Amino acid sequence: MRVPSTVAMAWRNLWRNGRRTGLALGAIGLSVTLVLVYDSVLRAYGDWMTETVTGPMLGHAQAHAPGWRKDRAMDRTLRNLDAALGALRRDPEVVGATVRLYAPALAALGEEGFGVVVVGLDPAAEARPMGLLAGAPEPPRGKRVLMGRPLAELMGARAGDRLAIVGQGADGSLANDLYEVAGLVDTSVDFVNRQAVLMDLGEAQTLFAMPGEAHEIVVHGRDASRAAQLAARAAAMPELSGAEVLDWRTLSPEMVSLIAIVDVVWVFVLALVFVAAAAGVANTMLMATWERTRELGMLLALGAGPGRIVRLVLAESVALGLVGALLGAALGLGLVALTHRTGVDYAALTGTGPSEISYGGLRWSMRLYPTLSAVDVLRTVAAVVMTSLLASAWPAARAARLQPTQALRE
Amino acid sequence: MSRPGPAVRIARAGMLGAALLASTVPSGAAAAPPPPDVDALLDRIDDLYRSKSSIARIEIAVTSPRTSRTMRLQAWTRGEEDVLVVVEAPAREAGTATLRVGQNLWNWLPRIARTIRVPPSMMLGSWMGTDFTNDDLVKESSLRKDFVARIERRSEDPPGWWLTLEVKPGIVGRWAKIELLVSEERLPVEERHFDRKGRLARTMKFDEVKVLGGRRLPAHMTLTPADVEGQRTEMRYLDVRFDVRVPDETFSLSRLEQNR
Repeated sequence: MRVPSTVAMAWRNLWRNGRRTGLALGAIGLSVTLVLVYDSVLRAYGDWMTETVTGPMLGHAQAHAPGWRKDRAMDRTLRNLDAALGALRRDPEVVGATVRLYAPALAALGEEGFGVVVVGLDPAAEARPMGLLAGAPEPPRGKRVLMGRPLAELMGARAGDRLAIVGQGADGSLANDLYEVAGLVDTSVDFVNRQAVLMDLGEAQTLFAMPGEAHEIVVHGRDASRAAQLAARAAAMPELSGAEVLDWRTLSPEMVSLIAIVDVVWVFVLALVFVAAAAGVANTMLMATWERTRELGMLLALGAGPGRIVRLVLAESVALGLVGALLGAALGLGLVALTHRTGVDYAALTGTGPSEISYGGLRWSMRLYPTLSAVDVLRTVAAVVMTSLLASAWPAARAARLQPTQALRE
Repeated sequence: MSRPGPAVRIARAGMLGAALLASTVPSGAAAAPPPPDVDALLDRIDDLYRSKSSIARIEIAVTSPRTSRTMRLQAWTRGEEDVLVVVEAPAREAGTATLRVGQNLWNWLPRIARTIRVPPSMMLGSWMGTDFTNDDLVKESSLRKDFVARIERRSEDPPGWWLTLEVKPGIVGRWAKIELLVSEERLPVEERHFDRKGRLARTMKFDEVKVLGGRRLPAHMTLTPADVEGQRTEMRYLDVRFDVRVPDETFSLSRLEQNR
């Protein structure tokens, strides 16, 4: 059998010049590691942006009474909330569903009034990781409410203070009551930090004369990229008939385009890294084959056919590429595994920069959680093997066409 | 800016305010088709509901696409700047009061025994759930001083004149243009307020002309915002007394809080 003997020869050839092979493996391996690490950061970036946008406030889909998004009128409410939440939670794609109430109001510690928005919510549901109350000191309960820290600073409010809230009920009546500030929250959502008084849903429904009603249902699905299908299924539920159900991409197109722009930039960077890595691999393979023109001429002189020479060189290249890529993949996966759990604080990498940035009404933490999928790894390994093969094919074919005597002289 | 005008200068800003602050105006009903003198006409409308002081009882009905409700108020005014409005009904809101002194506006909330000043950022918010804004209550403006007016055309039904008022350069206000229909009696019939972008923002209609507090004036007004279908606020004077003595302490915070 010629092929096995060719492979065996190729493998032996690789180790006849250990230094050269070692260098080639190192170059290929490092390129693969580089590509995979970049790829993992790119993925982390996409996931992170989506999670920052959808996690605390927006969710993957929302339901409202028609017209509410335009005028936010108090009396455009959703009813039958329990039935709607039950139906949503039965959907296997739904991770969580909760309701909120939004009421503009005047809040005052003493005589001075401040414009706020009372957000009535279900504390248990909002405490999920990345949820609005994920970092809250304690959940709002009864007459105890939370305030955004910048709002509290503006008003001079501290935990324990008595807060008067005055607004208008859904029926047009005057809503007013006294509350205790249970604590201050720093969320990633500017609106909440600067304007919100967070109140238990039941209490808010009583205050604003809308028992059993709310303005918004927020749904989190398993996968943000399937939000449109999720919204379409929810819209078709009889329990949500009459409601306007939209996915987060429709609700927040400006965030979607922000994510798209960043994606384009990162994909471009990844493409550059990949081209550089491929060039390195190609260079290594070209040089390695070129160097051996004499040796290949010797094989020709000993009676090896040109086809066999080409197959031999290609087998060597594939072996070299594969081993190098696998080593590099192992190293890359190791690095990603090390950082996946704790994340990489890239504010620290850039020196004294801020640990968070604020953009588009959201606060973005500068910690990324690199992640990779099997497809990323396979794609990179396959691309490296293909590059090695192509890069060595040309010098191999050239060597195979040489006159043995001429080749030996080179 | 012109000096604190008769608050409320009614119409443009708040007929409510206007209505609450009254002043002395010879209310001889002018008759006859010859086109009126514009300045005199605007002066008359500016001063229609004004007086050195007044006490009035008012009914306000708010109709929105899905709800409606009625409130009864009592209102005291003094000069052009001081207003006190106290809710008499419904019972759930009785005692709730709004006090204006100069440019400041406070709400008294008996249920929680608190007085809260309305911040500037909330001036364009709804006053007591009506289509009036807090701003309407403190707005200083005058049709004659703030606008350049011309008679646009004769109106046949009802007989009168349509006037177009364009805001004078340098005047800060919500309305860039007002179209005003006055009757032959020289009373306002309809006002259309256009915002700074030239869009119709709201329409106010005046009717039920009768003698109140010794003056002949429209007792009922309907404010209709242009952007919300089925939404309106109606205001009706049940009775008014102009130029009655109102004690100074009526317009003080401590009185506001003691009262209840």
